[in-house]
Amino acid sequence: MKAVKQRPDERLLIEAAQKDPARFAELYDDNFERVYAFVARRVYVRADAEDLTAEVFHQALAKLGQFEWRGVPFVAWLYRIASNAIADRWKRAAREQGTQLVDDPPDISGGANPEESERRARMFRQVAELPDDQRRVIEMRFAEEKSIREIARDLHRTNGAIKQLQFRALTSLRAQLKTKANKKASEKPSRKSGGRND
Amino acid sequence: MTNQNLSEQLDLMVDAVLAGRGAASRLGDKKLAEFATIASDLRDLPRADFKARLRADLERRTAMATSAKAAPEVRATATPYLSVRGASAAIEFYKRAFGATEITRLVQPDGRIGHAEIDISGARIMLADEFPEIGFKSPESLGGSPVNIHLDVSDVDAVARRAVAAGATVVRPVQDQFYGDRSGQIRDPFGYAWTISTRKETLTTEEMQRRIDAMAQKESEGAPESRTFIREGFHSVTPYLIVPGAAQLIDFMKTAYGAEERFRVNLPGKETIMHAEVKIGDSILELAEATAQFSATPASLVLRVSDVDTIYNRAIEAGATPLHPVADMDYGARGASVKDDSGNSWHIFTPNPGNTLFESFRSVTPQLNPLRAPVVIEFLRKAFGAEELDRAQSPDGVVHHARVRIGDSIIGMGEAHGPYQPMPCTLHLYVPDADAAYERALAAGAKSIQPVADQPYGDRSGGVTDPFGNRWFLATHLRDVAIPE
Repeated sequence: MKAVKQRPDERLLIEAAQKDPARFAELYDDNFERVYAFVARRVYVRADAEDLTAEVFHQALAKLGQFEWRGVPFVAWLYRIASNAIADRWKRAAREQGTQLVDDPPDISGGANPEESERRARMFRQVAELPDDQRRVIEMRFAEEKSIREIARDLHRTNGAIKQLQFRALTSLRAQLKTKANKKASEKPSRKSGGRND
Repeated sequence: MTNQNLSEQLDLMVDAVLAGRGAASRLGDKKLAEFATIASDLRDLPRADFKARLRADLERRTAMATSAKAAPEVRATATPYLSVRGASAAIEFYKRAFGATEITRLVQPDGRIGHAEIDISGARIMLADEFPEIGFKSPESLGGSPVNIHLDVSDVDAVARRAVAAGATVVRPVQDQFYGDRSGQIRDPFGYAWTISTRKETLTTEEMQRRIDAMAQKESEGAPESRTFIREGFHSVTPYLIVPGAAQLIDFMKTAYGAEERFRVNLPGKETIMHAEVKIGDSILELAEATAQFSATPASLVLRVSDVDTIYNRAIEAGATPLHPVADMDYGARGASVKDDSGNSWHIFTPNPGNTLFESFRSVTPQLNPLRAPVVIEFLRKAFGAEELDRAQSPDGVVHHARVRIGDSIIGMGEAHGPYQPMPCTLHLYVPDADAAYERALAAGAKSIQPVADQPYGDRSGGVTDPFGNRWFLATHLRDVAIPE
């Protein structure tokens, strides 16, 4: 769980939201991408991912009073709600079809790989921070699944220009991943050498 | 590999990933493999409006939960409610212009939108079709709207540009304001005025008042020269020809183009020019002999004349080398190109009668031939508030021609091709606030040549080299200084 970034004031946020549900929006803003990334990887259809993400936050809002702070990040609790919701959906689907599922349901254990959800959530946030025109191209291409030609038509640009924007956006996302990775890599040895000096 | 190729290859890979075929492994390239991982992750990117819709949904629920408990403290909000002729088209416009997302839309039996809500980066706007029968009239029915919507955005220039591209008209162009914002005003096609703004510096009310008072003071002193930051006779952009043989170049310009020498100072004890100014038609050019400190930067200059044939012949007689003989150009002008002995290229042209395409060109307009024009334009926009006027781009993305405006001047641009390769030049730019322009230029990637300082000739100026090798002297004229004869 150490990969899951925890806001230093998360506990305060949760307590505030328990007193005043209007403050739940802040918890939502902090965790939306993580939950969506977690859910989307475990279902196959975008509409299901949206339904389940909505369900997770509705449940979290309804049960927030029961949440007890034990030092575990809030998102772990959300992942557990998500796992249960996904499992329910699979069971229901199996019942409705009146059959046993041939394949095992996808891995929905909450602890499977929170680091991966975290990484992808971070990327989704980075998309939101791209320059407007690059962000629009990425959203239309990936989230709305439009072709280069459709995007070019909608944005009144040439196909070449859209491809260039896509290229720049992906290059920038990759660069940000790299800086993140390099930072991690460079942190370790410096800590070690610091230890020796002590 | 060029960007062009890469962007094509990358798109093929994205197609493959989106089609669920995974990345084409023949690429066998670590970099492309990393891109493929990113593309694969992005397949799960949430739809842009989903986050906002779910948030709004949760907010409605929490509001209900709160109000059910006890009389809560209501945080007052005021939301603009726009009456529009054509609400559906307006929503589309706000999406294109401001990146709005649609939150709610309720349609009447007669097809009119009775209520809609959009979200612009967290700001809620309500709107509906006009219902004149109940007095809910649009600006189009009323002949305008006195209410002005103030929209804070992170990049005012980009948003204003997009709004205009989407069909808005400019009321006041984007510029730095005394109260610390950079803002401009546009009118949308439905009659509403929007002030689009980005905070540049946070000022106290006292500081703003001080600036107003200072402006009023200047106004009342009524010294007209103190109101302008451009030295008399100059325009925003002046080419500064730092070249070998500056004195000979002046003679050439006099003979070939009828240039008039305004000013000349030689290096102490030498016959070489330290600084000179000549005027061709309505344009001033500055010159200096190239030195060890300031290496030669001959420029590419567009020269507008009334008879290109005569001027071309005179330039050749005066010693210029022909680059391109006089010919009728496909852009509605007769043109020719020559190179002078100091290395400057002159693109001489006479617009055909009735051709208004070149009205914005002065006698002399600097021309840049960068490898990639968009990055240069982006730099000029960030650093100097340049505005892109037009751009002619081939389907493969090559920018053949573009024009940007900085202040009252135009800079022409065409991506390098054939004999027209990048010629980093030196430009003298008058700006309202040299210190601010210098800082913005550095922030946009330029390197300092000399920090901004008051100069003995009455300007405050500094110098930078942009990422493409062009030198910029950024100046604000403070006062006129008598030039000793």
